[in-house]
Amino acid sequence: MSLEKPSRDTALDVGVTEDGLDYDALADLLGGHVLDREEHLNAEGFVIRPDEVQEVLSTLKEEAGFDHCACVTAQEYDDRYESIYHLRKYNDPTQELSIVVPSPKDDPHNESAARVYDTADWHEREAYDLVGIDYDDHPDLRRILLPETWQGHPLSQDYNQDQPQIVSLREHANPLEDDKRSEDDPDTMFVNIGPHHPATHGVLHVETVLDGEQIADLEPDIGYLHRCEEQMCQQGTYRHQIMPYPDRWDYISAGILNEWAYARAAEDLADIEVPEYAQVIRTMAAEMCRIASHELALATFALDVFGDFTAVFQYGIRDREIVQNLLEDLTGQRLMFNYLRLGGVAWDLPEPREEYFEKIRDFLDDLPHKLEEIHDLVTGNEIFQMRCVDTGVLSPEQVKQYGATGPVARGSGVDYDIRRDDPYGYYDELDWNVVTEQGGDNFSRVLVRLREVEESARIIEQCVDLLEQWPEDDREIQANVPRTLRPDPDKEIYRSVEGAKGELGIYIRSDGTDKPARFKIRSPCFSNLQTLPEMSQGEYIPDMIASLGSLDIVLGEVDR
Amino acid sequence: MIGILKSMATTMKHALDGETFTVEYPDVAPEVSPRFRGVHKWSQERCIWCRQCENVCPNNTIQIVMDEQRNGEQYNLHIGQCIYCRLCEEVCPTDAILLTQNFEFTADTKDEFAYDKEQLKNVPWYKDIDPLESREPDRGAWIGEGDGEVDYQ
Amino acid sequence: MQSAPLPETLANLLGLDPNSTAVMIVMSLIGAGLIGTLMMTNTALAGPWAKRKITAAFTDRIAVDRIGPYGLFIIVADAVRLLSKELIVPEGADRPAWDLAPLIIASTALLGFAVIPMGNGIQLADPEVGLAYVFATASMASVGLVMAGYASNNKYSFLGGLRAVAQNLAYEIPLILTGASVVIFAGSLQMSEIVAAQQQSLIGPLPSWYAFVNPFAFVLFLIANLAEVGRNPFDIPEAPTEIVAGYQTEYSSVYFVLVYLGEFIHIFLGGAIIATIFLGGPAGPVLPGIVWFLIKIWGVFLFTQWARSAVPRVRIDQLIEIGWKGMLVLSLANLLLTAVIVGVTV
Repeated sequence: MSLEKPSRDTALDVGVTEDGLDYDALADLLGGHVLDREEHLNAEGFVIRPDEVQEVLSTLKEEAGFDHCACVTAQEYDDRYESIYHLRKYNDPTQELSIVVPSPKDDPHNESAARVYDTADWHEREAYDLVGIDYDDHPDLRRILLPETWQGHPLSQDYNQDQPQIVSLREHANPLEDDKRSEDDPDTMFVNIGPHHPATHGVLHVETVLDGEQIADLEPDIGYLHRCEEQMCQQGTYRHQIMPYPDRWDYISAGILNEWAYARAAEDLADIEVPEYAQVIRTMAAEMCRIASHELALATFALDVFGDFTAVFQYGIRDREIVQNLLEDLTGQRLMFNYLRLGGVAWDLPEPREEYFEKIRDFLDDLPHKLEEIHDLVTGNEIFQMRCVDTGVLSPEQVKQYGATGPVARGSGVDYDIRRDDPYGYYDELDWNVVTEQGGDNFSRVLVRLREVEESARIIEQCVDLLEQWPEDDREIQANVPRTLRPDPDKEIYRSVEGAKGELGIYIRSDGTDKPARFKIRSPCFSNLQTLPEMSQGEYIPDMIASLGSLDIVLGEVDR
Repeated sequence: MIGILKSMATTMKHALDGETFTVEYPDVAPEVSPRFRGVHKWSQERCIWCRQCENVCPNNTIQIVMDEQRNGEQYNLHIGQCIYCRLCEEVCPTDAILLTQNFEFTADTKDEFAYDKEQLKNVPWYKDIDPLESREPDRGAWIGEGDGEVDYQ
Repeated sequence: MQSAPLPETLANLLGLDPNSTAVMIVMSLIGAGLIGTLMMTNTALAGPWAKRKITAAFTDRIAVDRIGPYGLFIIVADAVRLLSKELIVPEGADRPAWDLAPLIIASTALLGFAVIPMGNGIQLADPEVGLAYVFATASMASVGLVMAGYASNNKYSFLGGLRAVAQNLAYEIPLILTGASVVIFAGSLQMSEIVAAQQQSLIGPLPSWYAFVNPFAFVLFLIANLAEVGRNPFDIPEAPTEIVAGYQTEYSSVYFVLVYLGEFIHIFLGGAIIATIFLGGPAGPVLPGIVWFLIKIWGVFLFTQWARSAVPRVRIDQLIEIGWKGMLVLSLANLLLTAVIVGVTV
């Protein structure tokens, strides 16, 4: 079957058994480093000493094959601070392990993992910024989402919400002043690309040092769109109030994929079974979102490479518009769907059903022709190939180091797709393929997205067939869920889905109330954006812009 | 070179077929789905002042003021702050608050978007679509039974 | 077809003495005014209106259609809008150069039209070195671009200015070499001679326009011309998604209008050169010469817009590579080939 995973490397399989991971074997591997073991819902937690982080993580990475540091969650308890490193494997993400690092309340610090996993760099900066844990031996521990001058750490317990935050103009660099960064090399020039720039897809600021037209050094500066989404979710009730927010992370068409990330985590946390019929509708709606999102990614990428609002952009938008209308019919909104509910979906398919199926089929029938047109315009164009082949190259090793996922990882030949590897919804019942390309360059990433649109169309078609034949008395769209959801205290879960941009994970810790005690979002764009300096070092500005476009970041999701 | 010519042929084909996808708003009122969520309409006759909508609202858009006898006095809704999630409509046991398809609203200041009872009552239907009809069949699915208690106030 | 230059025609028309210097100066000014107005009208039509309509057609949209018939009054609206905007002068701008640059960009392109024969005797002057003159004025624009880029005190403008120089150096030479192959055919640099040389029949009713005689040179010239006027795939000096707007980043209000105007006049000048040396100038059946001339330059304009809709922008290093390694070699080969053919046949 097409969903069969290629055979995996067996040398690094410590504790891998037929029915899941044997955590005892892993604990044996780490020996005395494991102080305690915690029960997390699908990944056991090993508690380790704060000064042994690097040793433990590199052992797990080198000897047990945990090559994917998906997320770093930091939180403050009444008696301690805690950082959790969520580790998984690229070739089997169901093998998960949480490394729990407690640190003292009065002086919270622990060893940084950035030397083991490059991706931990930004994740730890975020933890420092929002929660206030210091990471020793971190290459560059600065605030990342909030301004440098911010007072206090917003997600720590003693943070004063009402404290005025004064950022004087003196704190900002004067753009007209001579720049100090290029002093030691008089031939370089410092340029701020963004936050207001036509190609940054939102408010991204890329601090760039140029040597002629080539990029000598580059650093993305994020946080302009930070809205404290994690805190907003912590203040909402599981049952109702959180669901509208995921739509606003990756706000460009990918709403249902984001909602599913929350739904999956919360449903597993509260042990809710979703009716199959609802799962099929979810799968169909999610794939529509993926098509819309990829169409837009392609359109804006073309915008970056072609310049001006040219034909490819408009054709992409035009095709996306059809999906958007289908989603509007289904969910009642074009972008902010709020369609999924814990345990099901808000609405059954719109009546008359036949008409709706007809509309979807029309769209699917036209799609190959439209994709053909896009191929003619874009991928077949020699100048486009000239611009995109072998630029912005990302090797599979770099992908894993930086925790890149989604089309970015698949474009570099890393065969990683949560829909297949850690199945949810109705995906494992359907016939579809995971698309990979080996090039690792901008061109491969575009190809992956285009081919994924085809695969998504296949999934939708199968869903429509299923829905059409579904017996009328069995159309259950909503499981029986209590009006007020109070998961048992101190349950912890990290769950992810394949969002439009990659692995979108949610960590929730419950404390027995109807609101989460800690809600952490693992944003795929956040990790993917970290690879930008690797991709564009030494290349020209236009290549950097193209690489940025091919990463397909949405700042709402990067900054949250 | 062939690829470039193919690209140019593709755009020229579009230029010559004369098809456009521009929506000529406001000359042509756009079609919206019956499920579309626009400005709220509120009915004083139906409202039982149970305050569920106020409780469920994720960002405190709805404000209800009652006197000591628990009689409703004010019902305020800031349509500029609303995120149009439709949760208020979903929890309402009497269909007293509905989201119409009406998406056209303007104001000179943000304050004018804070609608009171009268303004909410007078929100027009968009193209005379009563959203209740299209939504009726499935409402029970989610406000129906459940294990927790229903806290009507 | 041969006729006296425009000032003489005007003088004769008004019954004045064409041998008097004073009369000729006045008539020349009037003629220049007429031609300038004609080209400005074209530009006004092209910039705010035609460009939008053409782009919209390629992208399945309608574009401006609310003000006036077919939205034509948008030209007036745009003019008022642009001219009434605040002129923002960046801090630290190199003043005289910064102010002069838009003027140079706009005026040099207009100068070129002085020697273009537009049919019906509309040609301001017909010097013997007409073609050399028109190439010279066309390339003057890059001086304006560099001035604009350098004087703006903006890093993006600076990059744009440098890109403009690099691009023009790489493309000017193939452009002129290809133009030179036409000179070999015609045996003259005089514009009227070149036009006249294209009047005989090639095969049957097909005239011996150099586009038909030497299509290879025509294609080369068309491509080099795209780079010369800075349109896709060679809009590198502006490259909105890379360096914001290149050399024109800091210009607003009237100065922006001038820069924008200059660009469009430049496209039309490029079109005029192509029409004159490859498409038989104002020649054509039935319709008067001036109409054919306008059709031809609008055809070239349409082509630039068409290319813009479908062809990605190349990178600056790739452009220079294409220019020096590809176009230059091809244009030299073309020149050589032409010389051989002309030498054998004549």
